[in-house]
Amino acid sequence: MISRVWAWAFLGSLIIFFVISVQITTDGRVNFLTIRNSQNILVAITPVLLLGLGQTLVIIGAGIDLSVGWVMSLASVLSALALRAAFNSGLPLFLSVVIGFLAAVVGAGFVGFLNGVIIAKLKVPAFIVTLGSSFIVRGVALLLSENTTVIGLPRGVRNYGNDALIYWIQGEGGGLYFLKRPDVTGDLLRRMNIILPYPVVLTAIVVGIIVFVLRKTQFGRHTYAIGGNLEAALRTGIPVDRHLISLYVLSSVTAGIAGFLSTLRFTAGSAVIGDALLLSSIAAVIIGGVSLFGGAGTVMGTVIGSLIIAVLTTGLVMLNVQAFWQFIVVGTVVILAVLIDQSRDLIIGRMNTG
Amino acid sequence: MRKTIFLLLIVLLIVPLTSIVVTSQDDTLVIGFLPGVVDPFYQVMQLGVEAAAADMGVEVVTQIPETWGVQVQTPILDAMIARGDIDYLVIAPTDKDQMIGPLQAAVDAGIRIITVDTFLGDGDYTNGPVTFPISYIGSDNVEGGRISARGLAEAIGGSGKVYINSTNPNVSSVEGRAVGFNEVMDNEYPDIEVVALDFNLDDLNTATTQTAAQLEVHPDLAGIFGTNVFSAQGAGTAVINAGLGGEVQVVAYDATQFAIEQLREGTVSLVLAQKPFDMGYMAVQFAVADAAGVTSLPRRVETGFAIIDIDNVDDPEVARFIYQVP
Repeated sequence: MISRVWAWAFLGSLIIFFVISVQITTDGRVNFLTIRNSQNILVAITPVLLLGLGQTLVIIGAGIDLSVGWVMSLASVLSALALRAAFNSGLPLFLSVVIGFLAAVVGAGFVGFLNGVIIAKLKVPAFIVTLGSSFIVRGVALLLSENTTVIGLPRGVRNYGNDALIYWIQGEGGGLYFLKRPDVTGDLLRRMNIILPYPVVLTAIVVGIIVFVLRKTQFGRHTYAIGGNLEAALRTGIPVDRHLISLYVLSSVTAGIAGFLSTLRFTAGSAVIGDALLLSSIAAVIIGGVSLFGGAGTVMGTVIGSLIIAVLTTGLVMLNVQAFWQFIVVGTVVILAVLIDQSRDLIIGRMNTG
Repeated sequence: MRKTIFLLLIVLLIVPLTSIVVTSQDDTLVIGFLPGVVDPFYQVMQLGVEAAAADMGVEVVTQIPETWGVQVQTPILDAMIARGDIDYLVIAPTDKDQMIGPLQAAVDAGIRIITVDTFLGDGDYTNGPVTFPISYIGSDNVEGGRISARGLAEAIGGSGKVYINSTNPNVSSVEGRAVGFNEVMDNEYPDIEVVALDFNLDDLNTATTQTAAQLEVHPDLAGIFGTNVFSAQGAGTAVINAGLGGEVQVVAYDATQFAIEQLREGTVSLVLAQKPFDMGYMAVQFAVADAAGVTSLPRRVETGFAIIDIDNVDDPEVARFIYQVP
């Protein structure tokens, strides 16, 4: 966590910058740092973060997964098809949503399993395997999706994707509500804070699980060991092949969860939903300090990386700056992140020898 | 003896092959169809193209790009030119400037061009900068923007702040929609302010994030104009997310079944249907007419709109304009 001090500092200064500049451009009318906007940003990071989480595991293990964006699309389509079929066959909504979730996770996991087997057992470089599978997965998703978008989902699905744990209306006539959206309109509705939407909660749970796995379990230690020194890991008897396969399955599964969540949010499956997300997810991981050579990095780093990207998108829109600038800033931050890491290693190295 | 049998076999193989080549080189007209991207709008257009081809006895070769963009459309175009058998090309150029060069190459290869939905240059093929296409057949997108503006203005009661979410710059269709929209708001509705225009680059997640951010800057936002499927869908989702479904009015361009679902749910208040079937059908008719020597084809055909709201969505006269793909 300490090693990411500069990233936290950068995120902090970014937020301060937007607080001030948004105040100025709107004559003090709009505050960047509100409860509502913080929730907007949390919702915005969920897809990038979920893809980044799996990517973090794979990259710590000295691999790379280029298929995550399209696995997300495939999962979105599969979950929509399964959910619709289940509901139309008479199952209750909640059960249909669960079946949609399982379809996304199992379908995505299967792709990850194939990736892993070809990488670990047949010794084909991960870059090539996942590049190839991303094309295949993209084609399959488009074929299955009928017309790129799977529609006809039951209406209640929308609530699962957009409702929240807490609703809070400040001031007069307001109140605090849990789990159930208060039935208000007009001004009250516009003042309502929607806190911890379900997609954010589910993503937070996934973050928690992966943090735990990496820090506290043998699986986590093995991941760092394999990424740090493959030869040594083999000699100490770590089942490297099986472990690598698991990493790619996990990467696909987190992408699958992202696809499932987008189906709930948009009440439709989309075969193109993940198209733009691969590079953002890798950028988030790198800004977060995960070494592309493997063996180093944390989940919290990836969380900060995703936050920086989402804060930039939201802030620039609020300043009425075209989103194109976001690419320039993110690109600069990616390169700076690696430069800072390298110079820090150099300084620490000198201190140790000196 | 062996040699003779071998030769005979070769001859037997080649003769049917040449006959195949000969039959495909008869005077059946071959029309290439190259829309912008795989989506319901262009799929309905494809139905129109195929229906006309069947009615008029011409052959159609269809290639649909998987994503929108010059870099995807051009290689497909080049491959279609390289086939050498295509007489006419019905295309929706993905950029009004960048596609001029690649399509000029098609013209140089002897292919006649009809643009549908989107145009080249400024769309005036008589006096404008680009004159080589036979015709532009499509919606008057500026007019579509005007209609959307009036619909949204009515839905929000003639005053308040509105916001435009669009896809990409320099695409004649969505650009025209925003132009017409702004024009009406400026001239006819002095109490309505267009506060911003964002480009989501055809990404649903981006459209949603942008709309959410605009709702922060303008908590009193009254309406949103989504210039195409992704824009309207993303904007609608952000409105739902903020719990403002029904409070903030959304006008959606393009009558996809998804847009109609959102209309029925109350997320979207107005859907503007174009007539892609007409565009596809007429483009093939124009090609056949041109091949037959007709010289007075109009250089620009506007196919018009149907306006769908919750009151007329079940009226069969209106519902037939919803983009239905089998």
